[in-house]
Amino acid sequence: MTRPLAPSIVAALREIVGADHVITDADRLIVYESDGLTQYRVTPRAVVLPASTEEVAGVVRLLHVEGIEIVPRGAGTGLSGGALPTADGVIVGTARMNQIQTIDTANRLARVQPGVINARLTEATRPFGLYYAPDPSSQSTCTLGGNVAENSGGPHCLKYGVTARYVTGLTIVLAGGRVVRLGGAGRAAAPGLDLVGLFVGSEGCFGIATEIEVRLLPVAQGVQTLLGIFDTMEAAGHAVTEIMASGLLPAAVEIVDRATIEAVEASVFAAGYPTDAGAALVIEFDGTEAGLSDDADRAAACCVNAGAREVRRATSEAERVALWKGRKKAFGAMGRIAPDLLVQDATVPRTRLPEVLAQIAAIGEKYQLKIANVFHAGDGNLHPNLLFDRHDPDELASVEAASKAIMQLCVDVGGTITGEHGVGVDKRVYMDLVHNEQELAMLRLVRRVFDPDGLFNPGKVLPDEGEAVPPFAEVGSGCSASEVTT
Amino acid sequence: MTPVRALENTLSAETVTAGSDAASATSFSAEPMSVLAPASADEVAEIMKWASGEAVGVLPFCGGSRLPAVPEDHPYVAVSTSRLSGVEIYEAADLTVTAGAGTPTTTVDRVLRENRQWTPFNPPRVEDRSLGGLVALGESGSLWMGYGELRNHVLGMTVVTGDGRVLRLGGRVVKNVAGYDLIKPMVGSAGTLAVMTSVCLRAYPEPAVELVLVLTAPSIDDLAEAAQRVTTAPVMPVSIVLVDGTPKLAGSAGLVLRLHGAPSTVAADRATLEAHVGQLFEEVSTPNALLTDIRDRGADARCCIEVSAYPSRLADLLGAVSLLDPVGILVDVYAGRARIGLAGTDPDALGRATLQLEAIGGALRVIRAEGPHGSAGVGSDLSPDEEDLTDRLRTAFDPAGVMWPARGQRSA
Repeated sequence: MTRPLAPSIVAALREIVGADHVITDADRLIVYESDGLTQYRVTPRAVVLPASTEEVAGVVRLLHVEGIEIVPRGAGTGLSGGALPTADGVIVGTARMNQIQTIDTANRLARVQPGVINARLTEATRPFGLYYAPDPSSQSTCTLGGNVAENSGGPHCLKYGVTARYVTGLTIVLAGGRVVRLGGAGRAAAPGLDLVGLFVGSEGCFGIATEIEVRLLPVAQGVQTLLGIFDTMEAAGHAVTEIMASGLLPAAVEIVDRATIEAVEASVFAAGYPTDAGAALVIEFDGTEAGLSDDADRAAACCVNAGAREVRRATSEAERVALWKGRKKAFGAMGRIAPDLLVQDATVPRTRLPEVLAQIAAIGEKYQLKIANVFHAGDGNLHPNLLFDRHDPDELASVEAASKAIMQLCVDVGGTITGEHGVGVDKRVYMDLVHNEQELAMLRLVRRVFDPDGLFNPGKVLPDEGEAVPPFAEVGSGCSASEVTT
Repeated sequence: MTPVRALENTLSAETVTAGSDAASATSFSAEPMSVLAPASADEVAEIMKWASGEAVGVLPFCGGSRLPAVPEDHPYVAVSTSRLSGVEIYEAADLTVTAGAGTPTTTVDRVLRENRQWTPFNPPRVEDRSLGGLVALGESGSLWMGYGELRNHVLGMTVVTGDGRVLRLGGRVVKNVAGYDLIKPMVGSAGTLAVMTSVCLRAYPEPAVELVLVLTAPSIDDLAEAAQRVTTAPVMPVSIVLVDGTPKLAGSAGLVLRLHGAPSTVAADRATLEAHVGQLFEEVSTPNALLTDIRDRGADARCCIEVSAYPSRLADLLGAVSLLDPVGILVDVYAGRARIGLAGTDPDALGRATLQLEAIGGALRVIRAEGPHGSAGVGSDLSPDEEDLTDRLRTAFDPAGVMWPARGQRSA
C-alpha cells in the first residue's frame, strides 16, 4: 500500500522544481505505475520532474534526509522493470531534462541531458554528417539517460558496440545530492579507475546521470541490406555462424522465426515474407560504398551454402525499409496471436543458437505455450517471446516456469540471463544462475560504494541477502503486445 | 617458523620453487618476503587470505618488466602469474578466447592467427607481455579507433580479491553483464583491486587488407593541420597517428593512417581521405618496421608520460609537450591523446605542462619515471569525489589494503 508523502515534503519538493513538476494526484500517478514490463505495477508516492543537475541534487538531498527511496526514470520503455516504483519511493523523472547542450563537430562529441530521446540526437547531428550509434529498437521514445542506466544495445551494436563504448563522460548525482563529474573525452590520460564504465549499466542503483558526453560517428556512405529465407531455423543459425566466421562484420544480423513470420504476414504489417518459411534473416552492411556489394555477395553466398532457399537484396531505400519491416513490426503483430506477451532476453554463444532454439521450442511444447523468436542473431542475443493470456492463472504460472527453464538453458550452454534489457526486477530471481553468493555479495558492496544507504532503486538487480524473490505470477498481470519494442 | 614460511608450507612445493625461478628473472626494487607462483585461482586465494590476515602487501606480476618501485620498509610477497598460463577455451566460430592471466600474448596471438583471427591491441612491447598484464594496464594502442578500446573487448575474467574471494566477472559471450560491470574498473586497474587469474577476450577476423599511408614533414607541427582534417573526414581509418622524427621515415615526422577492409573499400577510402585533406598520401609497402616503431615510440625512455586534450586542441597539446624536451612523441590524433618519452624527470616542467593541459580540459599522467624524482606528486590528480569513490571501490575489492600498487599510492 502506497503512503502519500507528508505535505511538508511535497511543499519542499515544489520549492525545488516548481509546483507543476511534483505529481501526487492518484490519477496522474497511474502513468508511472510500471515501465515497459507491465507485469509489475506499483504506485509511487510521488513523481518529481527536475530540469537541471542542481534541481536533481536538491531533490535527492531532500529525499535522502527524509530516508525516502528514489527510483530514477527516463521514458519508461525498459523491459526488465528497472523503473518500477517502490511503494515507499518517489520517482525522479528526467523528462524535462531534454536539452542537447552541445554538438561538438570538431571533436565528434555531444553533451546532452538525460531526457534527450535517443533518435533525436541522431536527427540533430545528421546535418553535420554525424550520428549516435547505439540504436535500441525503442530509440524513437527511449532516453539517453535510460540508455546509460541499461547500457543499451540495438540491432547495429553487432558492429558498433553498446552504449558503454560511446559514453566518454558523466555528471552524476549521488546519495545526499552530491554532484560528481566523471571522465570526459579530454581527460583520457587522467589517472584512476574506469568509473564511467562502471556507472554505465548500473540500472539506476548508483545515482542519476544528469549530463552525458557521448562520442558520435560519421554517417556511413552506403548501406546494403539482404533478406535470407530459410526452410528451418537451424539453417538460418548456421548461416549466421558462417557469415561471422568468414571475416565479414555486418552492421546487423537479425532473425525472425516461423511463428513471427506468420503473425506479421497475417497483420497490417505484412512484409511479404513467405509464410511457409522456417526463418528469415535480415543482414545489413554499412560503410564505404565501394566495398558493400562485395560484402553483400559474400554474405549471400554464406546463406546459400547454409541452405537458404532465396536471398533478396534491397536496391533502394524503400526496398530496404520493406525488408526490415517484418523484423521491426514483429512485436506489434504478435497481438494477433495472444493478448499478452513476455519478451525474454538472454545471450548464448552464437554457435549454440541452433540447438538452443530447438530446446526453446521443446520448452514451449512442454508448457503448452506459444513462443516466437525475434532476435539479434549476430551476437547471440535471444528474445524468446512468450505469448499468453494474463487472465489465465495456469498460463501465467507456465510462463513463469518456462522463463526459468529458458534462462537455465542459456546459462548451461555458456550464456547469460540478459543481453540488453538489464536485470531490473524481472531477472533478480535468476541472478543465482550466473553468480554465486560470494559474487552477489560483492555486487552489493559495490552498490554501497555509490549509495551507502541503499535509497537508489531498491529491489532492483540484486536479490537481498537471503531474500526469496517473488515470481511475477504473484505480482502482476500481463503485458500488452502492442506496447513492446526491442 | 615465520608466518611466510607457514604460508609456503600450505602451498605446493612447485608454487614456491617456480616462484624462485620467476624471481631470478625479475628485478625487484626491494626484496620480497617470498616469491610465489600459484597454479590456480584457489592457490592465489590462499595467498591473499594469508596476506590480508598478516597485513602483508601483495605485488602481482608476470614478466616483471613493468613493476612499480617498492620501498624497503614495506613487507610484501610477490605473486607471479607465470603458471596461470595457457589457452583454456578457444571458440573460433564464436570469436572468443579464454586464457590464463600469465599466458604470453604471443601465445594467444599464435593460436588466433591459425584461424586468421587476431586481437587488435597494440600497446608498446606487446610481444613481451602476459595477457593479465595487458589487461591490468589497459592500454589499447592506436587501433582503438577502428576496433574500440581494450576495455570493450574483455568479455570476462576470474579474479581473486585482496582478501581471497574468487570472483567470476562477465562471461564468454559478447553481451554478458548480469549485474554491475566490474570488468570495466578491473581493466587498467594495474593490480590495485585484485589478482587476475584468467581472461576472456573477443577476437576479430583478420582484415582482408591493410593499407598504411603516410605524409611526412620536418616536424609534427607541420602535420597537425592535415591530421585534424583527417579526423573530420567522412571515412574513419582504424588508426591516425602523428609520430616525431623517426629513422623509419628517413628522419622525418609522419602522419600515419591505417585502413583495414576489402581491397575495393580501402582504395575508395584512400581516395576519399586524399580529397578531404587536399594532399596525396604515400603508401608504405612494407610497413612492419614503421608500425613497430610507432607502437613503441617513447615507451622505453627514462620517463614516459601520457597526455590528453580534446582533439581540436591538438596545437595546444603539442605546445604543452614542447615544454618537456621530448625524445619520442606518438599522438593518437582522433583520441587527442599522446605518449611522450622524456630524457629524464623534471617535476617543475611536468607541473607546468600539467597546468597548461588542465587549463584546456586535458590531463597528464606519468606512466613510468626512473631516477631520483620518480613520479610521486606529478601529473593530474583525481578530483576529491573521484578519489573518494576510488578508495571505496578499492576497499570493496581489498578490505585490508594489501594490493601493493594501491598501498604504494596510499602511502605516497
